[in-house]
Amino acid sequence: MADPRYAWPANPTLLSTRVKRLDGPDKVTGRARYTYDINRPGMIYGAMVRSPHPHARIVSIDASAAEKAPGFRTAVTAKEPGARVLYQGDPVAAVAADTEEHARDAARLVKVEYERLPHLSSEAAAMAADAPLVFPSGNTRKGNADETGNLDAGFKAAAHVVEATYSTHVITHVCLETHGAVCEWDGDTLTAWVSTQGVHQCAQGFAQALQIPQTNVRVITQYMGGGFGSKFAPDLQGILCAKLARQAQAPVKLMLDRKEEHLDTGNRPSAFAKIRAGVDSSGRLTAFDAQSWGTGGAGAGAGFPLPYIYDFPNRKRQHTDVFINAGQQRAMRAPGHPQGCFLTEILMDELADRVRMDPVAFRVKNLPPAGPNAMWAQYFEQGAKQFGWDRRHATGDPNPGPIKTGMGVSAHRWGGAGRGSQAHVDIASDGSVVVKCGTQDIGTGTRTIVAMVAAETFGLPVSAVKAEIGDTRYPFSGGSGGSTTAASVTPAIRVTSGKALDELFMKVAPTLGVEWTDLAAENARIVVKGNPAKSVSWKDACKVIGTEPISVDGRWEDGLSSSGTSGVQFAEAQVDVETGIVRVTRILALQDCGLIVDRLTAESQAYGGVVAAINFALFEDRLLDRGTGQMVNPNMEMYLLAGMSDIPKIDIVLNNMPERGVIGIGEPPTVSTASAIANAVRNATGATIRSLPLHPHKVLAALDRERAGGTL
Amino acid sequence: MSKPEQFSVSRRDFLKTAGVGSLATAVITATEANLDAQSTPRVVGPGEVPVTLTVNGTRVDLRIEPRVTLLDAVRNRADLTGNKRVCDRGTCGACTMIVDGRTVYACSTLAIEVQGKQIRTVDGLARADGTLHPVQQAFCDKDALMCGFCTPGFVMATVALIEQHPNPTVDQARKALDGNICRCGTFVRVLEAALEAGRMVARG
Repeated sequence: MADPRYAWPANPTLLSTRVKRLDGPDKVTGRARYTYDINRPGMIYGAMVRSPHPHARIVSIDASAAEKAPGFRTAVTAKEPGARVLYQGDPVAAVAADTEEHARDAARLVKVEYERLPHLSSEAAAMAADAPLVFPSGNTRKGNADETGNLDAGFKAAAHVVEATYSTHVITHVCLETHGAVCEWDGDTLTAWVSTQGVHQCAQGFAQALQIPQTNVRVITQYMGGGFGSKFAPDLQGILCAKLARQAQAPVKLMLDRKEEHLDTGNRPSAFAKIRAGVDSSGRLTAFDAQSWGTGGAGAGAGFPLPYIYDFPNRKRQHTDVFINAGQQRAMRAPGHPQGCFLTEILMDELADRVRMDPVAFRVKNLPPAGPNAMWAQYFEQGAKQFGWDRRHATGDPNPGPIKTGMGVSAHRWGGAGRGSQAHVDIASDGSVVVKCGTQDIGTGTRTIVAMVAAETFGLPVSAVKAEIGDTRYPFSGGSGGSTTAASVTPAIRVTSGKALDELFMKVAPTLGVEWTDLAAENARIVVKGNPAKSVSWKDACKVIGTEPISVDGRWEDGLSSSGTSGVQFAEAQVDVETGIVRVTRILALQDCGLIVDRLTAESQAYGGVVAAINFALFEDRLLDRGTGQMVNPNMEMYLLAGMSDIPKIDIVLNNMPERGVIGIGEPPTVSTASAIANAVRNATGATIRSLPLHPHKVLAALDRERAGGTL
Repeated sequence: MSKPEQFSVSRRDFLKTAGVGSLATAVITATEANLDAQSTPRVVGPGEVPVTLTVNGTRVDLRIEPRVTLLDAVRNRADLTGNKRVCDRGTCGACTMIVDGRTVYACSTLAIEVQGKQIRTVDGLARADGTLHPVQQAFCDKDALMCGFCTPGFVMATVALIEQHPNPTVDQARKALDGNICRCGTFVRVLEAALEAGRMVARG
């Protein structure tokens, strides 16, 4: 438990205010050097050789033509003849050449002979009774059933039962900076610039794969262009890059191209559920019975929470992972939650209609008990008022004309707890301060909140603190995933800065003739508490430090962070029932994240989460051709993402809860947007679409089914 | 997700130029004009050839293969790494540069094609003393960036917008920035920054 001296200040000067991103100027001028921008003296370029087939056995690999190609330097294999490739894009080899163009030429000249094998490109194909056995332990993996209460009694108590199948699709991360690395050896010491969400994890990954001491690996990530859960390890391309560099005795840059990025760097797995759910005549949920499945690609799981949030007293759920010949899933922004949320929230609106209740009132009636990590009831009420929910019509816009408007609502939760993170603080006799922490800024503003917390502690402006991150030479901090970074890093900085300040107080106190515990730091001065006239400027105080700077190590301690956030989102959408095109017009997102550190960047996270979910709901979709097993849209023109004109009015309401300490906000705001949009589309059209994305053809098909006898 | 209006020649402009003639006629006419200008067709490459670019007012002499794009030439050979390669096929705008006053997707423009033209990249936008261009300042003030990888392209597209429409309307700004994609989801604040930059420029 953190010393009470280091508790968050009751009246902060910086925390919860809007502090501009410290590295903004570097990013807007192009000075920020991402991995992709690292150009080293004598550097050559790497390129990968990948399987064009979804499932095949490698018969032979012949690099002789590549070796004769202009600029060729060296090649390494990732798989040997006899090995199987399990998806289009499965790595086979890598080459290095003097220019990027030559490297790609040489990669194309590596001749790989394959024996093609039967493949599975959809969940249905993999689950079919006559499916070829592609994965030795089975094409599916059935998990244990999860059961609570008495299902039979629950359905007996139900006045209405809804039974239907719901699903969400596979999307890829589409990090704008592709995965990749620049590797440079000095003897048996490796320096690797990696586009990663975890510098220390990457160092461990390199050391294990290359069988060198981890202390011989330095990983640097000053800037990185998006990860969203897909960039925690060096991956095969990073390891091959290091091997090429060792063989060629030259620094190698190996960045994936856009197609490789789609095929082999992770995705959000699909989710399907056949659900039967009951509600009694008073609107109380009684029972939930689901068989769920989904695919995380070639051999990975595809779990998700179900049912989501709402209290079904009697429930049973049986999940099965399905394996297909496609790139494996990786964590993607709130893994599992957008899927579980959609599957549950569409059902909730259907159940609400059965009992003729307003969707907000129906949800509030079926929430688990309220608490600091379960604020939904308050957000439903507050949001409904702000959004104008009372203007919502019943299911099906009664207005004439082809453009139908509707509103929808949805709720979500996330963890975001802190965990072990270490830090180091130096205060020099000239008053300068440097804070070091081996975390990384994946675009959330970590560098800025590191400086803010130290500056708050020292009573200094943010500009007076130098924040150094993104390097394994700095103290250990974990990967930036699970919305854990802010809650892990800020307590470490607070505790370490507090200890450093104590040391300064001890040195300064005799000069002021007081006990060190009587001192405080504020407005760039060290002041005697209760006697503001008695003080010394920060700069003068630091002069007593002398030549040996104050140099303090510290770590995350309990009591400054916690876990569990909640949020509710409202959506308004317009649907053109002649074209099937859905346009989102308004989103309102209510969200908490404990103590807000930087309100400006926290809001940006919420905006970003909402936009990501608009993409999930309306645009992006990894499309596999069932006949060939090829991804048909491994690019950015057919893999659709929102542009400026697709962005609705978005309002963010952040609920500051300083008493809870810091909790992460990166993931929760992206969970419920898609469900709220889908419910708005249902409210607009009167047709229930139980599957994402809400592409025009699916909207039109649902409208057809509705006219032909109902989608309910 | 349409292209911004100032991008190259729109289909409508092209047809207008072609007048009442067919598309084929227009193409032949354009080819003839080029032949007239150069007198004889010339085969260049495939090996390295001298290419001279004028980037941010500075002459850059390179020896590159003719297939090298403007983006790769500037990034890999001149170490001006501000503009990024993301989609590599003229969809996302992260590579946006301004060539003779018009935005181009530098990933889909050959370096050899833009010799003799004024090329502006994000690296040359701020003043030598470090003072940010009003567009850059507005992006920082509004937090119109997160990971920052799309930011150089958005900044350049916004600069071109402001140069074409000082103090733009919301619709003008949306349209001009429709050729750029951000994965972190900064759009709301990018739009605010574009409008704020317009106001800053209008105020002088």
